[in-house]
Amino acid sequence: MAAPRADIKRIAVTRHIIYALLTVAIIVPMLRPTPCSFQPTPNSRRFHERIEQLPAGSEVLLSFDYSPDAKAELYPMSVTLLEQCFERGLIPVVMTHWPEGVRLAEQACHDVAKKYGKESGKDYVLLGFKPGGGNLLLNMGENFKSAFPEDYYHQPTATMAALKGVKTLRDIDLAVDLAAGPTVDMWVVYGSDRYGFPLAAGTTAVAAPKCYPYLQSGQLKGLLGGMRGAADYEQLVVKGVGPAGKLMLPQTVAHLLLIVLLVLANGRFTLARLRGKEGT
Amino acid sequence: MWYKRTIPLLIVFTIGVLAFAHNYVPLRISDQFRERLSEWFRIIGGFALFLGAYSLLHMHVSRIRKQQPGWAYSVFVFVGAAGMIIVGLLNEGYGPLRSAPVGQPTWYQWGYDYIQKPCQATIFSLLAFFMASAAFRTFRARNTSAALLLASALIVMFGRVAIFQTVSAWFGAQSSFARHADGLFSATTDAIMEYPNLAATRAILLGISLGAISQSLRILFGIERSYLGGGD
Repeated sequence: MAAPRADIKRIAVTRHIIYALLTVAIIVPMLRPTPCSFQPTPNSRRFHERIEQLPAGSEVLLSFDYSPDAKAELYPMSVTLLEQCFERGLIPVVMTHWPEGVRLAEQACHDVAKKYGKESGKDYVLLGFKPGGGNLLLNMGENFKSAFPEDYYHQPTATMAALKGVKTLRDIDLAVDLAAGPTVDMWVVYGSDRYGFPLAAGTTAVAAPKCYPYLQSGQLKGLLGGMRGAADYEQLVVKGVGPAGKLMLPQTVAHLLLIVLLVLANGRFTLARLRGKEGT
Repeated sequence: MWYKRTIPLLIVFTIGVLAFAHNYVPLRISDQFRERLSEWFRIIGGFALFLGAYSLLHMHVSRIRKQQPGWAYSVFVFVGAAGMIIVGLLNEGYGPLRSAPVGQPTWYQWGYDYIQKPCQATIFSLLAFFMASAAFRTFRARNTSAALLLASALIVMFGRVAIFQTVSAWFGAQSSFARHADGLFSATTDAIMEYPNLAATRAILLGISLGAISQSLRILFGIERSYLGGGD
């Protein structure tokens, strides 16, 4: 049965009011930013400590498995990760399983390497995108340089100083999957479990809950989840508020608004039930 | 028809058994076979990109031809694809097989930075609005399960941000109550993630894995043949 005309109009009005409130809740805190103070979570601390423990010269494989739709959450995380690597003298080896991730990876590497005066091929490597998913990982696990004979800038990897000690995935000291989709499962199954290198992950908030079984079993050595994870990590690395930290305030206000809306809607529903009629 | 049915089934069975069995053969030849196999898979996988592009463009051609509602948007698919392919191939005069010098801005990068990036980010951001509206209109504690789900959602929303400290900072106060309240919600959120969420996720993962194993065996032994087409 079709909904009455008045009901349809009421739903449309409610929807537009919620859209307007959410717009204000996000834009106003962006225009008037005030620092948001919070303590980094134990998972974020473990992730940070894992990288701190690596000796200088270690190879850290970073997989930028996301596209621009997850940029707000994962790009600040990626930049901070590269900063920590360069600060500690680690060698980031950057790749992606997502074709849309190449430009984001290139931009992050270029900007952070320029800030720290690092050189492509010597202090870091940008391998770019290759199709294949799990098969690519198997290929890298057997022969890293046959999977990537050239880097993103068409330089041969066989003679590259940054990849001198890397023959297979077994020679990687830590891999970090920055994931907006299901690539963490792939990295665990075809990568770390098979070739025995330590793996950590940075994911969007929506993908993080799925990673907890791997964290508990020790298959993941650390996990950064969503904007909060990125903001925690910034606090630990740059000792201050970075791009993710600045976005925590709009997210806080939006959460507050949603909590108020849910409490109001359920309060009204409960009252209507107590009065003996089903609310909406 | 043996060449449409029997040969593909034989290829699947042979490659499937070899890909499975080589894991149990501790010889150099087995490693070489695995390396070669993974290269083949990657090459075949590359063709999936062409197949995907063909399927997408074919669908939009038929939309334009039939002038279905919204067909004009399909024209943009071709404009966008052609534009990016052309600037990608030209590559500022360096061609498709060479890289432009590091740091030199290209038209391909411009298209990505100023068209694709904002478009994708905008579409994903719209989810926040739809979710807020849908939650307000439909998320009700109608029974015990729904009430538990609602309570968990509220705790996680409190725990993933620092609401109490932010609100107290608006009033210029640094309250220890706010710090403790945020800490409590954060710890409860972690507990929800590490126990009930973990148990449910692991159960789902086990179910998916068992399903994948049984489906793989069905394909390997030719019981499941729908991938061959033809409807059986």
